[in-house]
Amino acid sequence: MKKRGLRFYTKIYFKIIAQDIKSKMSYRADFIISTIGMIFTNISGFVSFWILFRNFPSINGWSYHEMLFLYGFSLVSITPVQCLFDNNWSLRQQVYTGDFIKYCFRPINLFFYYQSEVFDIKGLGQLAFGIGTMAYSWSKLDIGFSAFMLLKLIVFLITASLIMIALQNAAAATCFWIQNSFYVLDLAFKFKDYAKYPITIFSPVFRFIFTFVIPIAFIAYYPSYVVLRPDEVPLLSWLSPLVGVVFFIISYKIWMRGALKYNGTGS
Amino acid sequence: MKLKKYLSFTRAGIIEEMQFRASFIIMVVGNLLYLIIVYFLWKAIYASSGSEVVNGMTFEDTLIYLVLATALFNFLDLYVVWQIGRDIQSGKIVLDLCKPIEYRKYIFWSYSGSFVTHFFLTFLPTFIVVSAVTHGAIPLGINLLFFMFSVVMAISINYSIDFFVGTICLYTQSIWGINIMKQVIVLLLSGATIPLAFFPEPLKSIMYYLPFQSIYNAPLSILLDGDPSVETLLTTLGTQLFWTVAMLVISKLFWKASVKQITVNGG
Amino acid sequence: MGKIIEIKNVTKEFKVLNRREGLKGSLKDLFSRDYKIVRAVDNVTMSIEQGEIVGYLGPNGAGKSTTIKMMTGVLEPTSGEILVDGNIPYKNRAKNAENIGVVFGQRSQLWWALPLIESFKLLRDIYQIPQENYEQMLELYKSLVDIEPILHKPVRQMSLGQRTLSDILAAFLHDPKIVFLDEPTIGLDVSMKAKIRTLIHELNRRRNTTVILTTHDMGDVDALCRRIVIIDKGKMLYNNDIEHLKGFFGSYRTLKIRLDGDLEQWAQQLAQELPDFSVSADDEWISVLVDEEKAKVIDVLAGLQKKYRIRDMQLEEISTEEVIKKIYEEGVQ
Repeated sequence: MKKRGLRFYTKIYFKIIAQDIKSKMSYRADFIISTIGMIFTNISGFVSFWILFRNFPSINGWSYHEMLFLYGFSLVSITPVQCLFDNNWSLRQQVYTGDFIKYCFRPINLFFYYQSEVFDIKGLGQLAFGIGTMAYSWSKLDIGFSAFMLLKLIVFLITASLIMIALQNAAAATCFWIQNSFYVLDLAFKFKDYAKYPITIFSPVFRFIFTFVIPIAFIAYYPSYVVLRPDEVPLLSWLSPLVGVVFFIISYKIWMRGALKYNGTGS
Repeated sequence: MKLKKYLSFTRAGIIEEMQFRASFIIMVVGNLLYLIIVYFLWKAIYASSGSEVVNGMTFEDTLIYLVLATALFNFLDLYVVWQIGRDIQSGKIVLDLCKPIEYRKYIFWSYSGSFVTHFFLTFLPTFIVVSAVTHGAIPLGINLLFFMFSVVMAISINYSIDFFVGTICLYTQSIWGINIMKQVIVLLLSGATIPLAFFPEPLKSIMYYLPFQSIYNAPLSILLDGDPSVETLLTTLGTQLFWTVAMLVISKLFWKASVKQITVNGG
Repeated sequence: MGKIIEIKNVTKEFKVLNRREGLKGSLKDLFSRDYKIVRAVDNVTMSIEQGEIVGYLGPNGAGKSTTIKMMTGVLEPTSGEILVDGNIPYKNRAKNAENIGVVFGQRSQLWWALPLIESFKLLRDIYQIPQENYEQMLELYKSLVDIEPILHKPVRQMSLGQRTLSDILAAFLHDPKIVFLDEPTIGLDVSMKAKIRTLIHELNRRRNTTVILTTHDMGDVDALCRRIVIIDKGKMLYNNDIEHLKGFFGSYRTLKIRLDGDLEQWAQQLAQELPDFSVSADDEWISVLVDEEKAKVIDVLAGLQKKYRIRDMQLEEISTEEVIKKIYEEGVQ
């Protein structure tokens, strides 16, 4: 058997993605409208945020600008799932109609092959919003700036995004077992909206749940401590890279198990 | 009998809904999760405001409003735009146009089954639980009757907007973009996620002139106001009636003018 | 020539949900579910030699697709053994995929939005086909079919025929040892069918590719397959040469006659008169399938001529289609 290592997969990935972007560009109107839709979503998110918090200097000990930073952090950390794993949204349909079977005939990793097919460019708009928000709130917060802080931020952003990716993979994979998995995926997708609040607003029971059962606190809250309050970083924050990697691996296993169990309905 | 023809769509819709039992459970879990977040978030907001009443609403008022808004959302939220968009992309719309029933009605009645199931499975239980838990915070009187009228009009306005937006797909075929824009605007400007009372002044007045507040804000304010003046009642219902008729006419005319444009995919 | 595929006592069972009828039934389904076991493939044993074209036939729902899915590694057999070129497909799906090409009915496996040539290039990279072999294959394709007009066309803009053609070419691109074709000619017009049959035949001949073909079109079978395997309700009914099969029915001949008036009505009347034989009618002819062990065709014809004014007649050996139909209906003794 021919060897297929990281180099092979990287090369293939960029080739497939390049083709996908090329073909998307041929639907110009769709691209523009989707981008506008994405901008709308983000503006509406900001408006809601502003309406809710503009009158209050702080919520549960979190200042307005700290909350804004959390918000920006959550936007950036969900960008990878939006851009790279968007094909998860079609999984349900493909499994239902039986079209999914075509992914099973190729001599490459099934999960890779499936996810590589779509790159969602409009997610980049969200990235811009997120970075802008973080930069703005950072400048308003009196926390200084150093290359080391930036490095920490990037590392924690990447690992935080793994959690959102893991949640979405696992949610999408439910369609291999249950018929209408749209609700599961939709639910997981909404977690991103919940991730932007400081977990201290919840009662201890729900703090526990959102940390260990549905780990949305790892999407923005714990990792952003490292930058926002470097003197009082809880242990869980340092764990978040590990949690990210472990969750990603678990979700990958679930997804693959589902795909292999898949029996190609619709003959 | 004509109604019988329509009711058979309703029945088929109910059966279809039942088959997705897993999605029911998940929908309920999703709603609970959302409401938990809403509860703690607003609790934190009220705690940091330092006063019992914010923008004329107590914490309890706000919570009841948002819980019922969520329950209402669950049966008002349709995937009409998606369906019309997909019908157009697949070319199925041509077959639907040949059916002995107007397309607009056909789609509406196909969804009527899910209105019924969602009403009994989400709105009614929520309503009963809320009114039991809050010991009469929801007035139970003639307002229920007005509320019914108001909800029916809300359904109609919501459907007309969806159908109008779905019609746009005839021109652009960008379903995702169009749908997300609609969803974001409706959710924010209808008072589904934040009560209108919390919006800052110029925005609030503008919202009263738009059709969206007739979908969530109007029925909920009728339901929660135990002793409305005749004037308030007439203004609210009158505004709704105006938008029901206006949106019906607009969406119908737009559809009629657009159908001529149909360029069917494939062949 | 060695055996490329070996299947021993393979069985595949599925758990299927029994849905209850009506509104009440669907309410019940919410709370309790009732499953039944369906045996899609039942104790099938066969082997296929390198370079063969085998027709894999059976009515809808007979278990054909299930068998193919097991051979491609998508499904795991419930019991029994499958070896494809020495691999157990289910355990080494990726490795097995190197050796096989698959065309599955009308589901295109190509990238929908891409021009065919771009799909080919991606496949070249995925299968790591050496550039030299890739170019040779393209040359071969160019010599066999006129691919220039479709090479730069996005798959989504192709006609069904062009898409099928593209899918078949894509399946052969990495020069696999085995190609599975599931109903490759379904829904195509006559000339496209002929084109595709020639293509499959040529590719099989030149590359010595083993081809396993499921179809409902006996034209495909006659044009391509020397051997057929018939399966029904999961059980294998027949596995041998077509000629051998026709031998079973060698005593059968089809007598075709033409009469004035409504042929359907005549056919019904004749069916009553000739209870031993099957009578059918199409637009032009009334066909009587005569078993010569029971009566000579010439006698049947003579008998008919006495009663009816026969305008025209033809005599035919039994067609593959009729043989298969008889097997579906009666089985092989």
